[in-house]
Amino acid sequence: MSTSPLEQARGFLPIFWERVRSEQWRRGVSLVLIVLACAFPLLDSNEGDLDAAANATAFATLALGLNIVVGFAGLLDLGYAAFFAIGAYTYGVFSSYQVQPEWSGFWEPFQWLGFVARAHSEGVPVDHVHFQVSFWLMLPVSALVAAFFGVVFGAPTLRLKGDYLAIVTLGFGEIVPIVARNTPYLTNGAQGLNGALPPNLLGYSFGVQSLPFYYLGVALVVFLIFVSSRLKESRIGRAWLAIREDEIAAEAMGVNRTKLKLLAFAVGAGFAGMTGTFYVAKLQTATPEMFTFPVSVMLLVMIVLGGMGSVAGVVIGALLLQLLQSWFLQDLTQWVHALGRFTGIGLLEEIDLVQSIELIFGIILVLMMLYRRQGLIPERMAVTALTHAQQTAVPSRGGLKGELKPLHGKVVDPKVPLLEIRGLAKAFGGIQAVKSLDLRVMPGSIVAIIGPNGSGKTTFFNLVTGLTLPDAGSVTLSGESIRGLGPHLIVEKGIARTFQNLRLFPNMTLMENLLVGTHTRTSTGAVGAVLRLPSVRQEEAAARERALEVLSIFGNRLMPRREHLARTLSYANRRRLEIARAIITEPVLLLLDEPTAGMNPTETLELSDQIRGLRDRGVTILLIEHKLNVVNEIAEKVIVLDHGEKIAEGSPAEVHRNEEVLRAYLGRTATAAVRAAAAS
Amino acid sequence: MEFLDVLLQQIINGVSLGAMYALLALGFTMVYGIIELINFAHFNVFMVGSFVALWVFEAMGFSGQSQVLYGLPLIGVLLVGLVVVMLATGFLGAAIERVALRPLRGFPGTAPMITTIGVSYILFNIILLTMGASTLNYANPMPNIRWEIGDATLRLREVLLWVVSFALMLGLHYFVRYTKMGKAMQATAQDQEAARMMGVDVDRVVITAFFLGSALAGAAGMIFGLYYNYTSFIIGYTAGLRAFTAAVLGGIGNIPGAMLGGILIGLIESLGGQYLEVRWTDVIIFSILVLVLVFRPAGLFGRMAPSKS
Repeated sequence: MSTSPLEQARGFLPIFWERVRSEQWRRGVSLVLIVLACAFPLLDSNEGDLDAAANATAFATLALGLNIVVGFAGLLDLGYAAFFAIGAYTYGVFSSYQVQPEWSGFWEPFQWLGFVARAHSEGVPVDHVHFQVSFWLMLPVSALVAAFFGVVFGAPTLRLKGDYLAIVTLGFGEIVPIVARNTPYLTNGAQGLNGALPPNLLGYSFGVQSLPFYYLGVALVVFLIFVSSRLKESRIGRAWLAIREDEIAAEAMGVNRTKLKLLAFAVGAGFAGMTGTFYVAKLQTATPEMFTFPVSVMLLVMIVLGGMGSVAGVVIGALLLQLLQSWFLQDLTQWVHALGRFTGIGLLEEIDLVQSIELIFGIILVLMMLYRRQGLIPERMAVTALTHAQQTAVPSRGGLKGELKPLHGKVVDPKVPLLEIRGLAKAFGGIQAVKSLDLRVMPGSIVAIIGPNGSGKTTFFNLVTGLTLPDAGSVTLSGESIRGLGPHLIVEKGIARTFQNLRLFPNMTLMENLLVGTHTRTSTGAVGAVLRLPSVRQEEAAARERALEVLSIFGNRLMPRREHLARTLSYANRRRLEIARAIITEPVLLLLDEPTAGMNPTETLELSDQIRGLRDRGVTILLIEHKLNVVNEIAEKVIVLDHGEKIAEGSPAEVHRNEEVLRAYLGRTATAAVRAAAAS
Repeated sequence: MEFLDVLLQQIINGVSLGAMYALLALGFTMVYGIIELINFAHFNVFMVGSFVALWVFEAMGFSGQSQVLYGLPLIGVLLVGLVVVMLATGFLGAAIERVALRPLRGFPGTAPMITTIGVSYILFNIILLTMGASTLNYANPMPNIRWEIGDATLRLREVLLWVVSFALMLGLHYFVRYTKMGKAMQATAQDQEAARMMGVDVDRVVITAFFLGSALAGAAGMIFGLYYNYTSFIIGYTAGLRAFTAAVLGGIGNIPGAMLGGILIGLIESLGGQYLEVRWTDVIIFSILVLVLVFRPAGLFGRMAPSKS
């Protein structure tokens, strides 16, 4: 049995089967649920129950939308109801008689399209415009309008840390109802906008009946569950999760966080806008009070209860809370009253539990956070443990010698310096972390940077990868300036890195960690992810294949664990995963920040070998390393930094003899002793 | 009224409101400075404080504004009210920290903040369900003494409010600056880990910050009742958001900044209400919040607590 781990993985694929089974299982369960949802009105024809169920669908869609923002992208939005309001008023204005401009020729084409009607009333000299845009058209239009506002409100919050984001969104959530109240021309102010048209399907008007709205709501929920799940398991969804887990690492892996955060705001707001339209069409009215802070909190409770980030969870959470509110608490109140009559306790007879729903919300939030943060249906289910055989297998070093495929598709001129730094400088307050640094790295080499702690090595990496902006100097990659580019663009240009203190995405699987690394080399957008056209499937399959290939560099260290969460890995395996994640971005230059930290001598040797293997496959390596035996063994050139300055450069042997270096590391007296020892 | 008189009157009002916001902002800023948490429960600790003060005054036999006191008896009654309220809300805040937040210490992400939202909701609804939704007339022993300055009026309650707020802020300032616990707080705000290494009991520091912040919020709650002559379950939300804006304006984590920020927000509210339209006041204040956060996240007076990266 001398199969390479790669072949093993492709071979019997136990995990793959599990996947198929769970996929089938999931489809089966979904189908049963949809059938049940459709049969519900037959089982319970009570108009009140049906109405409550129709409302429940609206809250389920809102929870799904909020889940995109909070659960996927990790942006705590406390003013989500604002987008619900925007969608609601958008439909309200275009389907009611609230705004009635004077009739003019301008409106004629719209009349022809059926969007407006010309209203003539006796005794009034001018005619007016009555808006009556179709519900079906307004559904996507409101989603777009809300998505637009999602971007507008999201943009200023992008630079903020998580907790400030919460308070700013809370502010926007507050402003929108105030604006609605204060602009009666559009919204009829506090009295509420009335007379929004109900949807009309093939000549059948929904009117005020609950049944058609219920089915429409179920359809919307199913549609949005579909969109959410498709997005989550795509390039876009993984980038969102990566931002949620570690923004800086996500950016350093090529994720454009500005763009993806705005996309999350837009998609989430779009869901809310659509729901707003549905809700107003159903109630045929909209008042500012329908969209205030308690609504946002209720939605938050739904997703916290169900499980942030879990699509099934948030729908269940929404349904549970609606059940609680519409049925359970009412029944419970009746029982408590009965109990009160029976026991003669007056207080029990009068208590109204429905009123205490918000109290219950508060209690749910606190209890869930204290005892079950992952929610009722966690986003991540437990993964089967490794078998005994897998756990005790002899580590193999991977089969990369056999198939020497290049790791990137770029053509590099071997005579032009790959990385050239001139006069690079960076100061933090009074401390000059990097001082007029000049440095050249030729293609195909392994260069080590050494220096005492605090000598500016990591700052130098941060300057090259765009995480920190330099004060002065130039950075060029193959002759092209990359100074001032964002980290994600630098990854795209071909520089990838690892971090000294490990920045994996802890709650994502190994596979997903790697797939995030393919972000810049793939192109699926949000629409593509939802439609999942053949080209998208192909790209996804290729990315997965690539991930397996990269994992195989580390033999059977990571391969059997690829569906495990990154946070369950051992320290050395986390280092390996970080390197793998950097490699999969297809770098021409790989920056490794203390790659062997925390590894035992055998593992260190193994990794040194693998690093050389990477170089043989065309990746130039620049590494920071404290273990001098590693440096001596693999580096062709060593650069020594001290106090942000380059004090020596040359082959390992040259550097060892350099007095400056000895002084920096050992101090003046020790240097003299060493010299004396060498002389005698 | 002359322009200047109107301006003076609005400044008097604004400083009064501002002093109250400043007291409330201090709680936000202290907790944020130490554990980087926006404490939404603070909103409603303030509201509970105004109810506790009402109950204290009622227990002492006051109801409405008919019974007034002068001189020492007035000061005595107010002091008793203040002490009881501050102790009550202080312990409430400490209990919140101990029960709901300490188990979550060190968890990354939004879990602690969501918990404070939950706690805030619980407080809000307990008061709503037990005290009802209607606005309550406040028991207020303060006489209606007023001085005319031109056409502007300065009332005794405003002067008292300033004195109380100023004294409390001064006390807090000295506490943080010169006591052992205060220095421990500063150290913890700078670097929790290092402070722990130096023998600071971080848990005690955090709970003390909650106690002090909540006690000040309670004082602000009492001042709210005495100033407006009413209280209601709903007052925490708006006042809390404004106070939070004040804390951000002053540079969150910065104690003198929170005081100045509070006064500034009070002035913006009163002058904005005078010269613009009242119904847009909240929009103006939130816009300030957003603008400051986006363009000057360290606040107008700079010096944010060093972020722990």
